[in-house]
Amino acid sequence: MFAEALFFGFAVLSVLGAIGLVLFRHPMNGAMSLVVTMISLAGLYALLSAKLIFALQLIVYAGAIMSLVLFIIMFLNIQDSDLPTEKGRWLYQLGGIIVILPIASFLIKIVKSIPGSEATIVGSGFGGVKEVGLVLFQDWLLPFEIVSILLLVALVGAVVLAGKRRMGK
Amino acid sequence: MSLLDIFMFVARVAFAAFVPLCFIAVCVWMERRGAGYFQDRSGPNRAHIFGFRAAGLVQNLADAAKLFFKEDVISGHIEHKFYFVLAPVIVFFTALVSFAVVPFADTLVLGGKSYIMQGIPLDLGILWFLSFVGFGVYGIILAGWSSTNKFGVLGALRSAAQVISYEIPMGLAIVSLLVVYGTVNLNEIAQFQGKLLFGFIPMWGAVLQPLAMVIFIIAAFAETNRTPFDLAEGESELVAGFHVEYSAMKFAIFFMGEYVAMFASSAMIVTLFFGGYQIPFLSTATLISQAKPVAFLLMVIIPVVMYFFTGWVRRSNVSHYPRENDPRVFEATVYIKCFWGLVIILEVLLLAILFSTSGGATAHIFVVLLQVCTFLLKITMMIFVYIWVRWTLPRFRYDQLQKLGWQMLLPLALLNIFITSAFVVALS
Repeated sequence: MFAEALFFGFAVLSVLGAIGLVLFRHPMNGAMSLVVTMISLAGLYALLSAKLIFALQLIVYAGAIMSLVLFIIMFLNIQDSDLPTEKGRWLYQLGGIIVILPIASFLIKIVKSIPGSEATIVGSGFGGVKEVGLVLFQDWLLPFEIVSILLLVALVGAVVLAGKRRMGK
Repeated sequence: MSLLDIFMFVARVAFAAFVPLCFIAVCVWMERRGAGYFQDRSGPNRAHIFGFRAAGLVQNLADAAKLFFKEDVISGHIEHKFYFVLAPVIVFFTALVSFAVVPFADTLVLGGKSYIMQGIPLDLGILWFLSFVGFGVYGIILAGWSSTNKFGVLGALRSAAQVISYEIPMGLAIVSLLVVYGTVNLNEIAQFQGKLLFGFIPMWGAVLQPLAMVIFIIAAFAETNRTPFDLAEGESELVAGFHVEYSAMKFAIFFMGEYVAMFASSAMIVTLFFGGYQIPFLSTATLISQAKPVAFLLMVIIPVVMYFFTGWVRRSNVSHYPRENDPRVFEATVYIKCFWGLVIILEVLLLAILFSTSGGATAHIFVVLLQVCTFLLKITMMIFVYIWVRWTLPRFRYDQLQKLGWQMLLPLALLNIFITSAFVVALS
């Protein structure tokens, strides 16, 4: 009962945050609503007893990445006069809703057609640091390493790009 | 849920919530008196209630009353009032919540049930602390940005850049610790540190990981925006940095948030490197089985310590010039009577432990209380280190700060990880 209430709370908050991100005009408001979405997603992970993912979502997405985004927005010091005038904004949004509606109704239909499986609490070890680590480094070692190489490439690329610009000057 | 369950639940949450709040007063007092001590002056010692000054603690009440009744100004030029009000709340709340997973005593076993002595019985430990330390930046960024003031924005920029860069060496220092402890659960980490190295050195993090300790403490200083890393405030250049537009209780909440953050990170440093709640050489099991000798030893030690302490109070709490019926002597007499009353109460309680059944529930509770006291004592010492550093070292220049973080601490932390991993692999 309590978990259900929490689920609805987090679900509503995450959807509201996402809507806010799209609809708010000022970038700071948009970024803050994205923070709300990130934190509620972390709450949803916690409800699924994915403890490690919950912590990582809070540290990486809600903490580090979003504070960098806020940092940049603060750096740019955007005033209301700097924002572009969006003509026909509501028309675009209406169009977007019309495109999304059939997909959403399709998704709702799929979710409803899933046979009602009883939610059971998996073993207390599920989703902990040790369990996720074992799975990651035993069963999924190769994909994990490939992803880390991808990140390394992005890192080196960022350094190279930043260096190039200074050379040009 | 039995009555005991509910009581333990309330007690633990209350401890995790109220002890940091009480420590704000202690911290402010230590800070101001400590500053006075380091600068060879008295510090605040005049404010009193009916002549009782409580060594300057009454000054805190006066400060609180002043801040509480000040006019709460929100300047007209502030556009985003919501963020302006939200910012101090975020700073204070994240600092308070980050303490919630720190264990303040070993797991208490009562009537076959075990209670984890943390505010929130989560086993995420360090990860929880890291995530909430990261959230604290939002408060500072929002405060500086919504102030719409160049000093505020500059302070917030500096602070955000500083916290983000020092989070990396902090995280890497923690990685090498995790290699040694093999767990992120703070309670298990504290239990690990109860063991003895070579049979006579306590296996504290400070002994096993001295380099990680130095890196973590430096990074923790930076994360709490304390001198030598308080560029965010930098009075001489930025007026007050990110909280320049704040007044009255909103300013006070920033101020309190800083001290709660200091308390929480001291608690973290103590838990990771100084054995947490462990009393050196006395593990929880030993304490429970030897509760009576320990209680007897305390019964002897407490009056002796109190005798010297009250003697010191008697000698130092006098006027510096001859006065008729010196009110300070009267004050000291009242304090000394209060202290001896406290000693008598403690002695009666310890006597009760001497007469209780050995290894029973009383012994367990006694050990928990002992460990809580040890933990708070260690935290107080760590807070003193914070204050000591603040009033000894000058502030870094901004480029020095970033250089220290990226060119010194980061490579050192990486090196430490490799050395530690090699050792752990070689020894296991």
